[in-house]
Amino acid sequence: MALVEINNLQAAVGGKQILKGIDLTINPGEVHAIMGPNGSGKSTLSSVLAGRETYTVTGGSVMFDGKDLLELSPEERACEGLFMAFQYPVEIPGVTTSYFLKAAVNAIRKHHGEPELDAMDFLKMVKEKMALLEMDKSFLNRSVNEGFSGGEKKRNEIFQMAVLNPKFAILDETDSGLDIDALKIVANGVNALRGPKRAILVVTHYQRLLDYIVPDFVHVLCDGKIVKSGDKHLALELEKRGYAWLENAGAAA
Amino acid sequence: MIATTTSPDKPKAHSLIGSNYGAPWLHQRRSEAAETFNIIGLPPVTHEDWRLTNTAQIAKINFNAPGDGTALNSEQLGGLCLKKLGAQQMVFVNGTFSSELSSQGGAVEVLTLRQAMEKHSDRVERFLGREMPAQANGFSAMNLAGFEDGAFIYLPPDRGEMGMVHLLWITTGHNQPVVVHPRNLFIIGSNNHITIVQSYASFSSQPTLCNAALEMVVGKGAKVELIKLQRESDAAFHIANEAIHVHEHAAVQSLVVNTGGQIVRNNMTVHLAEPFAQATLNGLTLASGNQHIDNHTMLDHARENCPSHELYKNLLGGHASAVFRGKILVRPDAQKTDSKQTSKTILLSDDAVMNSQPQLEIYADDVKCTHGSTTGPLDDEQLFYLRSRGVAAADAGALLTYAFARDVLLRIWHTGIREYLEQFVAAELHRLHLDQAKS
Repeated sequence: MALVEINNLQAAVGGKQILKGIDLTINPGEVHAIMGPNGSGKSTLSSVLAGRETYTVTGGSVMFDGKDLLELSPEERACEGLFMAFQYPVEIPGVTTSYFLKAAVNAIRKHHGEPELDAMDFLKMVKEKMALLEMDKSFLNRSVNEGFSGGEKKRNEIFQMAVLNPKFAILDETDSGLDIDALKIVANGVNALRGPKRAILVVTHYQRLLDYIVPDFVHVLCDGKIVKSGDKHLALELEKRGYAWLENAGAAA
Repeated sequence: MIATTTSPDKPKAHSLIGSNYGAPWLHQRRSEAAETFNIIGLPPVTHEDWRLTNTAQIAKINFNAPGDGTALNSEQLGGLCLKKLGAQQMVFVNGTFSSELSSQGGAVEVLTLRQAMEKHSDRVERFLGREMPAQANGFSAMNLAGFEDGAFIYLPPDRGEMGMVHLLWITTGHNQPVVVHPRNLFIIGSNNHITIVQSYASFSSQPTLCNAALEMVVGKGAKVELIKLQRESDAAFHIANEAIHVHEHAAVQSLVVNTGGQIVRNNMTVHLAEPFAQATLNGLTLASGNQHIDNHTMLDHARENCPSHELYKNLLGGHASAVFRGKILVRPDAQKTDSKQTSKTILLSDDAVMNSQPQLEIYADDVKCTHGSTTGPLDDEQLFYLRSRGVAAADAGALLTYAFARDVLLRIWHTGIREYLEQFVAAELHRLHLDQAKS
C-alpha cells in the first residue's frame, strides 16, 4: 500500500488558487523531490500536508497510511507519523528545546498508548541523535531556535526528525540559507534517517541539495501542477536548462 | 467610613484617625493626613492618573473596621506560610498582628509598627510619611490617618546577608465589607542583603478593601529584593502606595505578582536619589473574569549613572482588563541614565483589554531610555510549530503561557521564593485556562 496518496489536490490561500490538481504517490522507503520556480506552489503543498489552517483545500484528497490526512488536526498528523521540517523555524523564547521535544515525544507516545519518558530516559534517547547532527549538548537548554543561526535552525529541524522518528517527513526548502558545510551536516542527518519504512519528500528550489540527498524520484511543479516526473537525472537537466524549459512545455500542452 | 469624592465639605472624617500609640507627633501627623483627605478626597476618574481605574465603586461601599480578628491556627495558613523557605514570618489577621502565627527574634529585627513606636520612635518619627506622604492621593492620606499596624524593619549597616522576611496579611471571612490599612516601613542600612516578601490574601465573599502603604529606604551598597504576592479573593479591592528611596550603589529589585482582586491598583515609586543607584521593577498579572488590575510605576532618576529596568507582563482572559503606566523622570543631573522599560501582554480572549503607556520626562541630554510594548494573542506560528510536533492545541497554549510567565519569575534572585512562585503561577495558569475553556 502506498504511504502517501495525493489525488487531484487543489488548494487556495487568501482567495487565490495555488494548487490546481496534484497527483502523487509515495511508497515507504522512497525519497521524492519536488522542484519548481517561485510561486509554483511548493510551500503551499508542504503547508497543506502539515495542516496549516490559513490554506483551504478546495478539491481532491490525501490518504496517509490508509487514513484521510485532511481530516486530521496538525497534532494528529504528527502523532500519526507525519513530520515537517520548516523552511523558517520559529523562535520560542522561554521554552527550552529539551522541554519542547520531551512534550512532543510524550504526546506522540501517549497517542500510541505507550508510557511517557521521564527526563533521564529522554536524555539518553536524544544523546545519540545529537551526535548524529554534531550538536553540542548545551543546545538542549537553549530556548527553541532562539539566537540560532540559519544552519543551526535547520539542523535542529532534522534533529527533531531524528528524535520523533516519523513515517513520512517533508523537508520544506531545508537547504535555503545554508552554506555548503551546514548543508552537508543536514544532508548526512537526513541520509542516516532513510529506511525501508520511511518516506521523505524534499521540497527544494535548487538542485544542489539533491547532490547530497539523492532522490529516487523528481517531480517538477509549475503553476500548481506537476508537469514532469523523472529520476535524479531530471534534476540535473533542470539545472542545465532552467525552469523556463518546462514552463513553456506546460503552457504549450 | 469613606467620604465620597463629591463632598469635601462633609464633616471631618475623624473616624479615619487611628491610635497615636502615645506619641503626640503621630496624632499630629494623622490629623494632617485626615485633613488632606478631606480636601482631596478619593481620586476621581477625571484625574489623569486614575482615568483608567475608577474608584467610584470603592467609594460607594460602606466599609467597616474588621472584627476582633478571627483566630487562625497555623494549619489554616496552609500554602500561605513560607516558614519552610527559612523565612522570618510576621502574620497580620484582619490588620492585627498575630504573635502566635509569627516568628520574631531571628537575624532580622522585625517589629510591628506599634512595637517600633516604643523601640525606635525616633526612626519612625523621622521616616513615617516621608517617602509616601498623605498628599500622594486620597488612599495614601487615608492610610496615614488610619493605619492600624504594619511591619517595621530596621537593619543596622553592614550586617551582611540577612535571609528572607515574609509579611502575610490575611483578611478572613466577614458578613459585611471591611477595610484594612497596612502600613510598612523598612530602613535598610548600608551593605545589607535582604529579601522581603509581602503576601496579601483574603477569604471573604463580601467586598474587602486593603489600602496599603509601604516606605523603604535602602542604604549605600545594600541589595534588597522586594516581592509582593497579591492573591486576594475576587471580591477584594486592593490599593497599594509604595515608595522606595535608593542610596548610592544600592540595588532594589521589585516584583509584584497579581492574581486576585476585582479592582487592584499598585503605585510603585522609586527614587534613585544618588549616583549608581539601580532599580529593577518587574510585574506579572494573571487575570480573568471581570478583574481590573492597574500597575503604575514611577522611576525618578535624580542623579547620574543610574540604570533602571522594567518588565511588566500580563496574561488576560475573560473580560479582564489591565493597565500599565510606567513613568520615567530623568532630572537634569541624571546624566548617563540607562533605562529600559518593557510591557508585554497576551490576550487569551477577545474581550480582554490592555492599556499600556510609557511616560518619559527627560531633562538630561546624555541618556539612554528605551521602551517597548506588545499586546496580542498567543503567537500563531509558535502554536502551529508545537502542534506540528504532536502537542495538542490546548497543551501548546498552556506551554506558551507558562513560558511567558516564567520569564519574569526566572529573574527572581532568591531561589526558594522563585520555586514557590513557579509552582503557584503554574497552578493559577491552570485555573486561568480552565476558566477560558469554560467560557
